[in-house]
Amino acid sequence: MNTDENHWEVGTDIGGTFTDIIAIRHSPAEARIAKVPSRPQAPVQAMLEAIEAVGLRKSEVKRFVHGTTRVTNAIVEGRLPKVALVATEGFSDVLEIARYRRRDLYRLDIPPKSPPLVPPERCFGLAERLDHEGRVLKALDEAEIERLVAWLKGTGVQSVAVALLHAYANPVHEKMLGERLKGVVAHVSLSHEVNPEAREYERTSATVFNAAAMPIAVEYLSELELRLPIGPGLQVFHSAGAMIPISAVKRRPLVMAMSGPAAGVSASVSIARQLGTSRMLTFDMGGTTTDVCLIVDGQAEMTDGRMLGDKPLRQPMLAVHSIGAGGGSIVRNGPGGLTVGPESAGSEPGPACYGRGGTEPTITDANAVLGYLNPETKLGDRIGIDIQAANGVIAPIARTLGLSLTETALGIIKVANATMARALRRVTVERGIDGRDCTLLAFGGGGPMHAAGLADLYGIAEVVVPSASSAFSALGCLTADFSFLQQQTLRAALDGIDLARVSERIGVLIDDASAPLIANGVAATEIQVELVALMRYAAQNDAIPVPFARPLDVITLKKDFLARHHELFGYATGESCVIESVRVQARRPSRTVVSRPSVAVRAVSTGERICSFDGFHDIATSIIDRASLTEIVSGPAIIEDAWSTVVVPPGWQARPDVSGNLFLTRVAP
Amino acid sequence: MKIDPFVVEVIRHGLSAAAEEMSLVMTRSARSPLLREAGDLSSAITDGRGDLVGQGRDIPIHLGAMAYTVLELLKVVPRDSLNEGDALIYNVGPLGGNHLNDVKVVRPVFVDGEIVAFAVSLAHWPDIGGTWPGSYFAKAIDTFQEAMRIPPVLIATAAGVNTPIVQLLKANVRDPESCEGDLLAQIAATKAGEKRIFELCREHGKAVFTAAQARLHDLSEIEMREALRDLPDGLYEGEDCLDDGGVNAAPARIHVKITIAGDEATFDLSGSCDRVSNFCNTTPFMARSAVAYAARIMSGRDMNQNAGALRPLTIITRPGSILEPGWNASVAAGNHETSMRIVDAIFRAMQDTIPERLSAGGATTAGVLFFAEPRQNGSWKMLYEVHGGGEGARHDRDGISATRVHLSNTSNTPVEVIEANYAIQVEQQAIRRHSGGAGAHRGGDGVVRTYRILAPSMHLTTCIERMVIAPFGMQGGEPGKPCRISLIRQGANVAIDGKSNLVLQQGDLVNIETCGGGGYGAEAAE
Repeated sequence: MNTDENHWEVGTDIGGTFTDIIAIRHSPAEARIAKVPSRPQAPVQAMLEAIEAVGLRKSEVKRFVHGTTRVTNAIVEGRLPKVALVATEGFSDVLEIARYRRRDLYRLDIPPKSPPLVPPERCFGLAERLDHEGRVLKALDEAEIERLVAWLKGTGVQSVAVALLHAYANPVHEKMLGERLKGVVAHVSLSHEVNPEAREYERTSATVFNAAAMPIAVEYLSELELRLPIGPGLQVFHSAGAMIPISAVKRRPLVMAMSGPAAGVSASVSIARQLGTSRMLTFDMGGTTTDVCLIVDGQAEMTDGRMLGDKPLRQPMLAVHSIGAGGGSIVRNGPGGLTVGPESAGSEPGPACYGRGGTEPTITDANAVLGYLNPETKLGDRIGIDIQAANGVIAPIARTLGLSLTETALGIIKVANATMARALRRVTVERGIDGRDCTLLAFGGGGPMHAAGLADLYGIAEVVVPSASSAFSALGCLTADFSFLQQQTLRAALDGIDLARVSERIGVLIDDASAPLIANGVAATEIQVELVALMRYAAQNDAIPVPFARPLDVITLKKDFLARHHELFGYATGESCVIESVRVQARRPSRTVVSRPSVAVRAVSTGERICSFDGFHDIATSIIDRASLTEIVSGPAIIEDAWSTVVVPPGWQARPDVSGNLFLTRVAP
Repeated sequence: MKIDPFVVEVIRHGLSAAAEEMSLVMTRSARSPLLREAGDLSSAITDGRGDLVGQGRDIPIHLGAMAYTVLELLKVVPRDSLNEGDALIYNVGPLGGNHLNDVKVVRPVFVDGEIVAFAVSLAHWPDIGGTWPGSYFAKAIDTFQEAMRIPPVLIATAAGVNTPIVQLLKANVRDPESCEGDLLAQIAATKAGEKRIFELCREHGKAVFTAAQARLHDLSEIEMREALRDLPDGLYEGEDCLDDGGVNAAPARIHVKITIAGDEATFDLSGSCDRVSNFCNTTPFMARSAVAYAARIMSGRDMNQNAGALRPLTIITRPGSILEPGWNASVAAGNHETSMRIVDAIFRAMQDTIPERLSAGGATTAGVLFFAEPRQNGSWKMLYEVHGGGEGARHDRDGISATRVHLSNTSNTPVEVIEANYAIQVEQQAIRRHSGGAGAHRGGDGVVRTYRILAPSMHLTTCIERMVIAPFGMQGGEPGKPCRISLIRQGANVAIDGKSNLVLQQGDLVNIETCGGGGYGAEAAE
């Protein structure tokens, strides 16, 4: 075998409908992109087929990184393995009680909360108790452990979650169980490992999600290891925006919960760094959801507030804000006014213009009416565009409003963009930043189509449509840093802080975060460590992230906290403050650079179509093959590649750079 | 001005987003656990006349009251006396008030010298002075015993925060430091709302913005009228009762007579009992807030909850009654207890006409336990804890356990937060199994929580309803189990009332069991 052969690095994003793949080689430099159907029943098979689709053999792959929402989808769709929960005696109903609060204020038809992830008969109350400082109030004894073991055997579960009160402050009892339950059940998730932070409901919820994900993750990851035996080159993308080795994911599969969207953001981070853009908003519009995220100075925002349905995941992850609006969102014109979504035609039957039985008007149908979609191309070789069907479903709304078909479709796009603008506002406002100062990075099926209109509505001056925008999440898997993240509750008051003790705990966290990298052959000298203190006033709840350096300087930290608080909330006071937790990210920066990819399949037309834009109805619009684009194009124009459509409205222009990125800017008012 | 429907929708998004952002500023930066953990706060935007036009996903009872907060203010504060940069603070009952703990900060939003909107931030202050820590004094004979009254005063102007007023307020509450942080957060929230409204006006122009607000009201009015037209015309009567209207008093009756005629409806609450001798009185605004919620449920439609939806509704209360007791009545508990009983009475009135839109009786009580511990420096550390219960069953499903229903929507405080901040150990938190009423569909179950007092002494307030009169079953379903409260001192049971103020001792155990929801439909025979 030629030793030069296995130099390919492969990134894949396994979505609900398609698996995107991108393969790159450094020398000679080459990049290949493809899309294959996802196979929910045989995910590993789909990944291997994706490798074939870019014309590679398994033996040519040096590194394989994948992002997926497989685990999340299993949870959302309720296809969960049976899990048991062990909680402190007297508190085993923690999941069912939850936090009381409901989202829909005026809907009695919708249950105020969904059923608990673990039914009461599989919850066990364990006689033991700690207090908030980790002191043992009631020791866990041998007889109690035996009682638990007997009960667990009776349940027949493969996976158990252990979440004891105040375990974040002292894991002594959880660790005992971790040892004693080995061999009793196949998978054990301990709350102090999954999410070592206060608030019992949120920590328990995260631990149970992890326990539920474990059997699924371990099974398919083991199969992948067997069928693609490339050792440490096999990696998974995690929700905090980096990749980690398979062995670490098997213990904490929850870290990959949002890995697909996170990979897209991670690719955006690389672009932001390459372009030197200090503030960027990502805009990833798919069929049923749209994901947005804010990138400031080459760093994506993080959050641990993400929910799955109505249940908290509480993992530090990229702050991707998802809204239930995408190309398939249904448009309604009721007596209460015109609304878009949240109901969606989904991928089945999909928008009416896909000709697969959809009968309700969607955003995509409005785009079809306006001439943006190519009637001669097929999306992913499967779906054609039926303009007549689109006209047919938009017409009734137009009749009711007394408007033309074009005016109605333009109006629908305007409302859709307002929904998107609200998501952009949300992520910028949380960070105290004016979204109009940001560059909009558009990808996903609908992002490049809506970006210019959205930018107009929001007052954004520049849009970037990255090269490989249609396989952008797959690309993110390759360009991300190799990293691991740890977060732990400290609750140290800044006044009278025990610096030695806090520094020691930070040291331990750094070691914990670095260990998985070192175990995978990264030299300690290559590892960069980023430290963030999550800080609040003593009486507050929500801690805000304040970066710091070692050695910890209390005066600087306090000053930075006050400045950040003022930036976020418009005021700051002299009250005493607290380091609630510390977040440590250990990473080896990415060295992967991607050249302009060649697209394996191409089916785009060139010429002209009649399109409509705000203020410009039924005008001749040039259609341009994206791969051939080398110079500035003035709108109106439609730029197409195999899977995506970039709309350049009148008054806008598009400029390509050498890497294949497209820059859209407004040139006329 | 004719305005296209798309712009109206765009502005509607903008208004709700502004209100949601205001609430976010509050929960993320407030100090009191009641605000930051339980989320006992709400945000709203009104139009330039004071009519509610946008609201957050907060608490229906607040949002209903806020429909009047600015309208009533403008009756006493001339609008031309307001200046750009002003923010007013007030809590008094006659100005669209609900109870004195709920303090409103209101900011007029000026565009080109004209008020185009008001941003309103409402927050429940854990203490606002008065006889007892927490300002819930069960036997308060009037408002003066209850708490501090704040008439509309400027808390901020273009020059900045009005420090003397902040000092005055801090001097009259039991946890001044938290109070200041919470107050600054409220002011900041209205500022955030103002900023978003500026943006909307800049994007669309002031004239379009104003016209869109008017259109949003019209759309909700149209929707509500259509819904009322779909309901059969007629007279519907219903009633429910509070456990008592004062110690040893008889149950306090809430009665409603609903007349539906075409596309309008009248809710006449005059048959409700006279002013009561405890803190269960409430204001006419609360009555309207409860009716607005119930009418929305009766409509079975999704619509924007704003002032337009209220236009087809006539709401009548009787002066001297528990729902219009006069400005000097004590009202702390009426806010969340009496208002809920109005919803119950309306549901009972309509239960045979539109049962599929309603639910059986649920935990229509906040189940409040308020713990207050004196600090060495003389200020107080306070925990206001609400307790969810069972939801009433519906025609198509069981009620959910451990939740808040109808007008309320606050959260519990996590055990790990309580124990880290207060001299309290929570010994148990569980579902109260089998407390929901039986039926073809079962009512949801209540909760049990047990608190052990670790401090030498602690003040306790109880404010719990549905201890005597259980949540009702519907269409043949059984009622849920009523709430229970007990105090165990040195192994012995000490009787305590559902609405009381007492001093606890070290080692005391306070145990609350909340009510289950009522069942729906007769249980199938074996």
